[in-house]
Amino acid sequence: MIQIDDVYVTFNPGTVIETRALRGLALSIPKGQFVTMIGSNGSGKSTLLNVLAGEVPVDSGRICVGDEDVTGRPASERAGLVSRVFQDPMAGTCEALTIEENLALAQQRGHRRRLKRAIGDDLREKFRERLASLGLGLEMRLQDRMGLLSGGQRQAVSLVMATLQPMKILLLDEHTAALDPKTASFVMGLTDRFVEEDNLTALLVTHSMRQALDHGMRTIMLHEGQVVLDVADGKREGLDVADFLQMFENVRGDELADDSLLLG
Amino acid sequence: MSLIAFLGAIEIGLLFGLVALGVFLSFRVLNFPDLTVDGSLPLGAAVAATLIVSGWNPLASTLIAMFAGGLAGMVTALLNIRLKILHLLASILTMIGLYTVNLRIMGKPNQPLLGEVTIFTPFEGLGLPYYWINPLIFVVIIVVAKLAVDAFLTSEVGLAMRATGVNPRMARAQGIRTGIMIVGGMALSNALVALAGALFAQLQGGADISMGVGVIVIGLAAVIVGEAVMSTRTIFLATLACIVGSIIYRLVIAVALNADFIGLQAQDLKLITAVLVVLAMALPTVRKRFLRGGGARAS
Repeated sequence: MIQIDDVYVTFNPGTVIETRALRGLALSIPKGQFVTMIGSNGSGKSTLLNVLAGEVPVDSGRICVGDEDVTGRPASERAGLVSRVFQDPMAGTCEALTIEENLALAQQRGHRRRLKRAIGDDLREKFRERLASLGLGLEMRLQDRMGLLSGGQRQAVSLVMATLQPMKILLLDEHTAALDPKTASFVMGLTDRFVEEDNLTALLVTHSMRQALDHGMRTIMLHEGQVVLDVADGKREGLDVADFLQMFENVRGDELADDSLLLG
Repeated sequence: MSLIAFLGAIEIGLLFGLVALGVFLSFRVLNFPDLTVDGSLPLGAAVAATLIVSGWNPLASTLIAMFAGGLAGMVTALLNIRLKILHLLASILTMIGLYTVNLRIMGKPNQPLLGEVTIFTPFEGLGLPYYWINPLIFVVIIVVAKLAVDAFLTSEVGLAMRATGVNPRMARAQGIRTGIMIVGGMALSNALVALAGALFAQLQGGADISMGVGVIVIGLAAVIVGEAVMSTRTIFLATLACIVGSIIYRLVIAVALNADFIGLQAQDLKLITAVLVVLAMALPTVRKRFLRGGGARAS
């Protein structure tokens, strides 16, 4: 259960480049729900994700993850509750480290790290098993550097990393945006599978309305730092991009200016 | 070059392998360009020498010197993390401050150790000549230090430290407190350098306020030369490269200074070092340009 109450975030307050990124945003995600989120540039999607991850502090409002109020906690202290796959395949992994070292880092997410040897045979076996489920042959390449993998392979490994340890919410930050269409759909397929298998609570940010409506159970749309549309389950079924746009225009009395949402 | 000069170069190369390991931790693992070492090497020397002449056990003195070096590294890290001072500048500030600290510790610009019991004293009666014994002692010390650093960097904490250096945002997302990692890594790095200083003072027969000048460049030269001559694919190889680089650097210097026909003298040491570092750093760039065929084709 994720509860976000009346969150405000303003960047560079009092200057000419002041940006009111979140303006009283409220959102509640029940356990086990897979939510997709769209919004044009500057709508606050990324800020919301960073606020949930603890990378951006809020000016006011409250954020609860599970039963815990995490509002003032930095990212490193939320890692046990929140796991994340970044948009940039470079951002979510360490390219200078090997695949197994990256996995070992994720294996300790939310746990105390000790002076114990990081990678033993048991762990290697577990990593091999998890990587084999990707069907990419990466289980044979545990000691290869992460930097040798393609963007799609890295995102697939990032997904494995994010799901090695239990979490209260999985944040997916346009994690297929940097990939070619074929690879993107492969990674989305994996995402759906992982979320379903482990019954994860997830929030997927995407730039593509099509992707937002095709995946998950509920779609929300952000605009000017607030949730303006929220459709779930039955109401969402059979909805296509044009319907969704119409709903937006009805709510806002305004046409959506950003074409990029319609593409893809 | 005579045997004694050769073994002397090996000996100093092994000793400065400790500095190279320290510089490897800051520059390479944490991605933190740290000039504190110019102050923490004489700090280690000053603390050890002063304690030894006041009657302390040489081993305890050496350990306390390491601890002092660790504190110096922590100061630099905290200036950077807490006060947001640029890492390079933070380390220069600590280095300058340490100059005074070192003078205060010794109460004078140098502290001789002539006739004192040092950690090398017990080995003098073994029957081997000194120019063999000291390099052997340093081989043992550097191997222990190298394996300890290897074990640390492949531990859960060590892995977290390496992630902090290469991708701090990802590290935080994995629950790693990057600030603590930087403080710890810098402490470890400077403790190794202070250990080198403490041993150097006991080997040379004294600590001197000016013995730290250019230590960072020597350490960096060792790291870079090591990377230029061998693979650093694994941690085991990377730390080995530091030591190999340090020894090669010393041998090159020894050859350059011993070859009378070149006409180089001891005072040319720093310039030779600077040129050597430039050459080693330019090597990858030059190699790439050469392989591309002199830039004839548009890349």
